[in-house]
Amino acid sequence: MKTIRLILALTLLAATAVPSYGQAKKKQVLNLFCWSEYVPQEVIDGFTKETGIKVNTENYASNEEMLSKLLAGGSKYDLIQPSEYTIEALIKKEKLDALTLENIPNLKNLDPKFTKMPHDPEGKYSVPWMAGTVGIVVNTAKVKTPITGYKDVFAGTHKRRIVVLNDSREIVSWALATLGISANDMTPENLEKAKPILATWLPQVKVYDSDSPKTALLNGDVDLGIVWSGEAAILWKKNKKFSYVLPAEGAHQFIDSLAIPKGAPNKENAEKFINYILKPEVSVRISGEFPYTNPNAEAVKLLKPEQRDNPASYPPGAPKLETFKDIGAAAKEIDKLVTDIKGRK
Amino acid sequence: MGLVNLLCAGWSGLVFLFLYIPIVLLVVYSFNASDLISIWGGFSTEWYVKLWNNGPLIDATKNSLIIAAFTTVFSVILGTLGAWLLYRYKFPALRPLGTLIFIPMVIPEVIMGVSLLILFTVVSVPLNQWLATFTEAEFAQGFATIIIAHTTFCFPFVLVAVQARLTGVDPFLEEAAMDLGAPPLKAFWLVMVPYLLPAIVSGALMSFTLSMDEVIVTFFVTGPESQTLPLKIFGLAKKGLDPSLNAVSTVFVLATAILVIVADRVRKFKH
Amino acid sequence: MQAALGAPDTSGTRRPGLFGWLLMTPMLLWLFAFVVAPTLILLVYSFCERDDLGLVVYSFTWDNYRRIFFDSDTGEFGTTYLTVFVRSVIYAGLTTVICLVVGYPVAWYIGRAPESRRNLLLTLVMIPFWTSFLIRTYAWITILSTNGLLNSFLQYTKLIEEPFDMLYTPGAVVLGLVYSYLPFLILPVYGSVEKLDNSLVEAAFDLGAGPVRAFQKVIIPLTQPGIVAGVLLVFIPAIGMFAISQLMGGGTDPTIGEVIQNQFMQARDWPFGAALGMTLVVMFAVAFWFTSRRQEAVPG
Repeated sequence: MKTIRLILALTLLAATAVPSYGQAKKKQVLNLFCWSEYVPQEVIDGFTKETGIKVNTENYASNEEMLSKLLAGGSKYDLIQPSEYTIEALIKKEKLDALTLENIPNLKNLDPKFTKMPHDPEGKYSVPWMAGTVGIVVNTAKVKTPITGYKDVFAGTHKRRIVVLNDSREIVSWALATLGISANDMTPENLEKAKPILATWLPQVKVYDSDSPKTALLNGDVDLGIVWSGEAAILWKKNKKFSYVLPAEGAHQFIDSLAIPKGAPNKENAEKFINYILKPEVSVRISGEFPYTNPNAEAVKLLKPEQRDNPASYPPGAPKLETFKDIGAAAKEIDKLVTDIKGRK
Repeated sequence: MGLVNLLCAGWSGLVFLFLYIPIVLLVVYSFNASDLISIWGGFSTEWYVKLWNNGPLIDATKNSLIIAAFTTVFSVILGTLGAWLLYRYKFPALRPLGTLIFIPMVIPEVIMGVSLLILFTVVSVPLNQWLATFTEAEFAQGFATIIIAHTTFCFPFVLVAVQARLTGVDPFLEEAAMDLGAPPLKAFWLVMVPYLLPAIVSGALMSFTLSMDEVIVTFFVTGPESQTLPLKIFGLAKKGLDPSLNAVSTVFVLATAILVIVADRVRKFKH
Repeated sequence: MQAALGAPDTSGTRRPGLFGWLLMTPMLLWLFAFVVAPTLILLVYSFCERDDLGLVVYSFTWDNYRRIFFDSDTGEFGTTYLTVFVRSVIYAGLTTVICLVVGYPVAWYIGRAPESRRNLLLTLVMIPFWTSFLIRTYAWITILSTNGLLNSFLQYTKLIEEPFDMLYTPGAVVLGLVYSYLPFLILPVYGSVEKLDNSLVEAAFDLGAGPVRAFQKVIIPLTQPGIVAGVLLVFIPAIGMFAISQLMGGGTDPTIGEVIQNQFMQARDWPFGAALGMTLVVMFAVAFWFTSRRQEAVPG
């Protein structure tokens, strides 16, 4: 009996010790929930070195995936990196903590163009991380016909040589764009119109990838892709044969920001991190590894000419761009629509 | 029959080639100086250096080892105890109980993953409210949930291994010990456990490896501070751009090979 | 495995007293809390709905199951999801058959080999078995991709002009599955082969009916426990596996594992995912019940 009691006691001890093992009450931590190719490890290491705060990272490849885990409530995150339409939805449902702006003096480094945006008019809840577009990458060594928009990509001549983002909202918005309908006008009638278009488009896709669509392009498994501008910029850096085209029908301009979910256990550490990455020298490092459009005006001044000239990072001209708005209940319908069509053969 | 055996030998040779060539190629290219996965650019150990400095990966390995250790301990306790009790006593509803134990071994991992995720989600709010009344500790997805999940599908393996060993045991072994004056628990500890040890060890090894390799269930029940090695590898494999993953893989393969060979030597030594 | 769990008939005739029940409680509690309860909650979820933000709403609806079986547009029986189920079963079935055909001779050879060589061979099978399947799958990605090793080699030796499309195809997925699960079949079958009574084997071959008949009539039935165990160990995990099909398949022909995972992540429709999950569980329960009936019918 003594042995049994001993074993039971040990088990109970271990069981209660284990949950608090990860709490690290003595040590300062920051639980960062971010996109899978967005936060350079050296930036995280630099932050830890400067503040002594340990950063735990978990990744996601889409806003929806992030929402799924965040709202489930099982995990407590301190910082998330939502896109503009997700921030709008989160603010509406009161899922974000207002920032203590005095703790983030480096906010002054931001380009005013990117502050006070429609999804967060007072800039109280989010701080822009990077902006970008979703556009078409063309491997000009393999594709000789001109590609100007979605219709060209899915014309049928590049069947199974295409990679697209694994993101229902994006995919449906492209179909709507070819009909001249705004990406934010997701009424049931418009979705019905999008269905046949997607039914002809999706069978032509070879790979769905939001984590790292550049991989399929680099490996030569596909010749065309509809990807994040940062991925396109990296491809262009590696080889100028990858050209970036913003679709003539209209493209999504996204603004990803850092935000603090309600009930975050380490809010101060989160604000310290935000302040840290707003430093121009740090922001430049982020641009170096993930060449999206940097909203930090001071950092942009420090960029090298070839970074400023990267057409994917800083698109020239005045392309037709649109930011996403929160579409509420329609989000459910989009997910259903794309899942149903994807499964079809 | 000689011809049959010869054909099988030849076939086996081919199969072994099939099993090993990809692994060998993986190892070879981990020393590739170029960062493209297939073009050879010369010999280099830079990826191993990068690996050594890769904080999150090392952390993930530590996490995996800790989780596997706890899982193995719990699985051994639950499994051995369970097997011995089922052997010794005639419990009611034996068939359903047996099936219940069998389920975690064979259920598709994705089902186990999502059902546990739902369980932890549903339970977390009321549980935290209750915990808040007397302690600062909080329930959050992380080590605890992963260990629970891993133990759930690992302990049946220990149980089955121990049960198999029990079916051959001399039933009077324990009786004899008890006749000599030992209380039942002591008889168990001093006589049964040493006899069961090979099965327990084999079950423990199985638990440890299953836990170290597990990614599907872990994917659903993990938290930010408990990123495990397979999760990180899965993430890297999806991005798959440079040979650092080759380097990780090579280290893994070597560690596994060493473990297998050592375990084999120990087994032979015991006999 | 099965027989051992059903009713251990050596000893175990005592009724458990308080002591026995006390010791049994941890395991029973564990099973209830982490196997029974989650499945019940999954069942409950499958009848719920989701709101705009993706949170679960506890209101009863058949919609999720309706969506699985009946086409949303036409209302007829038969949907993309049933196709996905069928596809997953086919992938898993194909994988199992290939593993069986490829692996049985290997298990035979190892099982009949002299002791010294047998240990070496077993170790050689164990090493891939214990190596993470993710790593082994990744190895194939580097080989099969368009700029990968195989294509580079074939182009270098001028065997082909343009690179082949090998990755992101159903073939690649099956290859990945077979490669991952092959050792899982070899080992149990080896276990059965090793236990074969040598005189029986000799007799089977000596009776002059030829090796094919010998295998068919004698050897295979004798190694049936190993075969059954191996088949179970391959088929069942293969159905729910989403990591391999995601890595090797590109997401275009999703398996049921991928679709379920997607519902819990990207698509944020937990109730629908739960309904898919429950359907899979029921499929299994039925198949399991069937095979256990057949096992009882066969003399062990």
